[in-house]
Amino acid sequence: MKKIVYMLLAVVMILGLSACGSEQQEAAPEEGFSPSLDTSTECQITVAGGYDNFEALEAEFDSFNEYYPNVELMFTKVDDYNNMIGMVLDGNDAPDIYVNYSWMYGREQYQSSIDHAENLADPALGLDLDCIRSNIMLNTSDDTLPMVPVFANTYGMLVNSSLFEKEGLSIPTTYEELVEVCKVFREKGYENPMMGYSKEETTSLFTLSAYPFFCETMADDAEAVNKFNALDSSAGEYMRPTLEKEMQFLSDGCVNLDACAEIEDNYEAVILRFFEGDVPMMFCSGDTVSGTKKRESQSEAFIANPFEYAFVPVPMSDEGTTFLDMPNLQFSVNKDSANLDMANEFMRFLITPQELNEMAQNKGLMSPTKDLSFNSVYAAFGDVPESRVLSPEVIGLTDDAVIQLRQAVYAVGTGEMTIDEAIDSFGTFTE
Amino acid sequence: MKKTVIIIVNVVIMVAIMSFVVLYSGSESRDSYQRQIEHFEDSTVTMEQVTENYLESEQRICDIWARYINNKTMTMEEAADYIRASHVLENTSAHLISPDTLTGLSTRPKQGTDDDYAVSYKKIDLLEDTSWIDRIGESINITRAYTNPMNGEQSLAFCNTVELYNPESQKSETAVLMRVIPISMLEQKWVFPQTELVNAELAVIDADGDYILKGDSFKNSSLFEFYKSYNATDPKSSTELFNKITSSTGSVPMINSHKQECILAFTPVSASVGWTMLGLMPAKDLDVDTENWLLFGVVSAGLLILFLFDLLCILYFNKRLQIAAREAESANKAKTDFLSTMSHDIRTPMNAIIGLTTIAEKNLGDVESTGESLRKISLASNHLLTLINDILDISKVESGKLKLSPLTFSIVETVENLVTVSQPMIKEKNIEFSFHTNQMEKEYLYTDQLRLNQIYINILSNAIKYTEPGGRVSVDLHQDKSDKPGYVRLTYVVADTGIGMSPEFMETMYQPFSRQIDSRVNSIQGTGLGLAITKQMVDLLGGTIECQSERGKGTTFTIVLDIQEADRQREDMQLESVDVLIVDDDEIMLQTTVDILESLGASAEQAPSGLEALGMIEHRHLSGKDYDAIIIDWKMPEIDGLETIRRIRSEIDETIPILLISAYDWSDIEDKAKAAGANAFVSKPLFRSTLYDKINDLIGVESKSIEPEDDYSDLQGLHILVAEDNDINWEIISAILSMYGITTDRAENGRICVDMMRTAAEGSYELIFMDVQMPEMNGLDATREIRGLEDPWASSIPIIAMTADAFSENVMECLDAGMNGHIAKPVDIKIVIKEIRRIKDGGGQL
Repeated sequence: MKKIVYMLLAVVMILGLSACGSEQQEAAPEEGFSPSLDTSTECQITVAGGYDNFEALEAEFDSFNEYYPNVELMFTKVDDYNNMIGMVLDGNDAPDIYVNYSWMYGREQYQSSIDHAENLADPALGLDLDCIRSNIMLNTSDDTLPMVPVFANTYGMLVNSSLFEKEGLSIPTTYEELVEVCKVFREKGYENPMMGYSKEETTSLFTLSAYPFFCETMADDAEAVNKFNALDSSAGEYMRPTLEKEMQFLSDGCVNLDACAEIEDNYEAVILRFFEGDVPMMFCSGDTVSGTKKRESQSEAFIANPFEYAFVPVPMSDEGTTFLDMPNLQFSVNKDSANLDMANEFMRFLITPQELNEMAQNKGLMSPTKDLSFNSVYAAFGDVPESRVLSPEVIGLTDDAVIQLRQAVYAVGTGEMTIDEAIDSFGTFTE
Repeated sequence: MKKTVIIIVNVVIMVAIMSFVVLYSGSESRDSYQRQIEHFEDSTVTMEQVTENYLESEQRICDIWARYINNKTMTMEEAADYIRASHVLENTSAHLISPDTLTGLSTRPKQGTDDDYAVSYKKIDLLEDTSWIDRIGESINITRAYTNPMNGEQSLAFCNTVELYNPESQKSETAVLMRVIPISMLEQKWVFPQTELVNAELAVIDADGDYILKGDSFKNSSLFEFYKSYNATDPKSSTELFNKITSSTGSVPMINSHKQECILAFTPVSASVGWTMLGLMPAKDLDVDTENWLLFGVVSAGLLILFLFDLLCILYFNKRLQIAAREAESANKAKTDFLSTMSHDIRTPMNAIIGLTTIAEKNLGDVESTGESLRKISLASNHLLTLINDILDISKVESGKLKLSPLTFSIVETVENLVTVSQPMIKEKNIEFSFHTNQMEKEYLYTDQLRLNQIYINILSNAIKYTEPGGRVSVDLHQDKSDKPGYVRLTYVVADTGIGMSPEFMETMYQPFSRQIDSRVNSIQGTGLGLAITKQMVDLLGGTIECQSERGKGTTFTIVLDIQEADRQREDMQLESVDVLIVDDDEIMLQTTVDILESLGASAEQAPSGLEALGMIEHRHLSGKDYDAIIIDWKMPEIDGLETIRRIRSEIDETIPILLISAYDWSDIEDKAKAAGANAFVSKPLFRSTLYDKINDLIGVESKSIEPEDDYSDLQGLHILVAEDNDINWEIISAILSMYGITTDRAENGRICVDMMRTAAEGSYELIFMDVQMPEMNGLDATREIRGLEDPWASSIPIIAMTADAFSENVMECLDAGMNGHIAKPVDIKIVIKEIRRIKDGGGQL
């Protein structure tokens, strides 16, 4: 018995010592990605974009460094990005990877951004492009792929799920249900069942509610799309159903424009107003949703009374909700990069469902991959039937034409124009 | 104290020490960490000064331009030309921007053009508000890092407001003069100079937390956004923290974008109100506690090793103590048993001595009875002496003081003595006894004969002692060549059919006081010292002793000793041409004897029985070729040796020399043998020299002997002083010595002895026998005084201790006191004579 006690004491001491001396195991690199270059390679990779900060991408840098510890990856903000990226690409500070946008394609002033881009469709690069939803991929005339989406965007509304649950209501999936829910909320004392930014056209509640509806009306009419893109004056009529729907929506009493006018900007102010907790539904884009997580800790109201929320499509049609699937940020590789192989290696690492979903989750944006279920905030969009998933890329609407719609909708929504005046002004709106 | 308590106390002490080491180490580590943080803060302050100096120098260039432009009335183009002319650095440029239009001119053309100097800041959120630009020379006016609209490079600009003449409006208008420097140029210079801060990075923020300059580790566009992105905080705490950062010097911990704990050091930039210099460094680079953990590890490992070592030592010593305790207990018991046995063993012969003395006194007139009593008293005395000698020997063995006294001796004599000594017991127990020797070529050997005898006698006497009556004891002694030159290998094998020994007892049989627990053994006299002494003697002589035994079947001891040959051997032992018949039923004996006789030059024939011998003798006699000598064994089947001799004498020849041999006691058959007609007797085993001498005796030739005669004439007239307080002892020694013609004087104690020596004339005494324990002055002190006498003869006279203090330490005491020898009481007259001769021959001279 004594010997057992001594042995136990000795074992306890040995274990104690070994515990003191043990070091934390380093995290093993993730499975799935296999480095194709010398992992001891030393180089610097710069990614340029317009964001002030890009923490989600920096997290990917860290993951990549587990394979290539000597590669220094850095994100650089470029001022006036859209206008400057061409010059940056031509200058001494040219990045290895840079942010690109679909709408730059085909526009002469942004041609440099396209010209510097490597063709990412090249099978030799080994990018897993199949993991990305095809309807947000850029269609080019020569079937090259100068950019690949790393985030997606859509329009919709933030819903206070806790409030719906509290009031025993379901999140609406048709326009009729939307109006009814708004009516019930009003009756229950909620002054603003729906709110949104209205001070400027950009991602105003008018655009966010009308644009998906408009896409739905144009989706199957190629001729109409062509005429609309051509800014044919007669094509303004294609906007009429949308504008009428807009007016109906406003008259159905879902929103109080005066209250909405108090929201100062389309990002932080929208979020903080939603976090006040008394707004069941808040129009916003996916970009705005990305800022919600960080601002939970900045809202004293939300800290005091936290609630569950989600981002869902706005049911502007009686047929149901529409998922307007749009690319957001896209990455291009500078084909003149001094470290082109490593830049491509990073893209091969990044363009996978796991990394894209991870980055989208961290950024709070919608993932470009085919699986949206991993993020509860965006999960509702994954439930939209494929037939009601619309993409301006697929429909073929050009940005210049869409600007006409957005301005018309804003003008009608704010009461600056009547529907007829807006239709007559088609082609004359400027951004 | 129980072992458990000791262990627990040890563990508690170890834990306490380790806790102290951990706490002390932690404290030291924290102190060191704090010092490193303070050092980092100081470095940040230093970098603030360095940065400030650099920024001021760059700002001064812009100030010089601005002052020059303001002192002249210049248009924007003229100002641009002036700056263009004064530019020396290729990678810097200057922009002149109208705050109203946010457009202006650059001193360098737009990238990709040669003559497009127009520059616009409309899309860059930088110059919408220019109120932060102080008057010339008052402060550093620097923009945040931004993208140079002329070349797309990340840059920053030092600014001043200048007054430019507008030709169109013909008015002076304010413009912003920007000295634009690429960030890459600054990055090369803007690093901590210390190598230990290689992972530290710098930033400068304005009052809103927005970066003006920043290293790569600083994320977001604002420090405060950066902090809030990776650190849990609430609005109130973050506000307090930001106020602290922008208004004081110090440091705070924070988590960076890699989720590492970092130290953010901050200090205000004195040259520009609201700016703060920041330093950011991973905390692990400041935390240098690795050595402390190493210290802890080493101390812990050391303590653990010490603990385990102590534990093992304790267990080991406990085990040893247990064994020692058991041994002590066992030895104690053994000694108690021994004392009990000794008491019995001493009382037994003492009883015989006392009882027989009484009988002798009562029968003084009966010479035969008195003689028999005295013979038995002598036997009992010898046994008692043996007992005491054994005790002395084991005492010497245990104290390691047993020394060898080698001398030349005859192995033949030794064997004869061995047979003689064992005969009474063999006879008494009616044991069948045989003794074979073989190849005993070297008769004279050189070793401690006394110890060799002791070994052989101990083994043989044990065999006889533990063999039941009717049993058999056989001895085989033979010489072989030894590996050592000049040595012979003596192998002595004693086999008996006695009670045998158990394996358990055989493991401890060489330990003192060991006696087998056996009812049969208990009835046998013994001290339990014999085998222990034997083993020690064998070891001392460099030999081996082996034993094979089985209970109830018997024991065989084999002793192998390498013994040096003596320098002298009997030479040329060659018999004249003689014809000898050897008669014995023992075939080995026959063959051995034949071999010996033939080696002596004799012609030998053999007969296995008396009847066959008679036939052979008669046949020779009839043919007129009588044997020159006949050697006949006593015990033989059919007709024994005596009967054979009788028939030879009566039927064949009355004169033929006949030698009777036997392994048994000659005295029993001496008369019968003589009556039968035997001419001589010799004991088995037969040695070469014995046969040579006996046959020569029989055939009337004088043998060549080197044996010294028992001649004591050399001792006649010696005069010895005996210091002895005991009257009886004095009487005995005096009487015995007088039998050898030696005269003695007595000194009743040491004092008298010294006085007698002081007054004695030179040469009065040959030597002194000195008792040790005496009244007035003991023998030791007396010896010392004698050695201190002035008379050189007296002071150097040989002194031999003659004392009952017979242990080894007593001997040493005597020698240390200046004595020349030691004789233990009861005295053996042979030893006394030997000592006297040794002294007389000069062996005792001082």
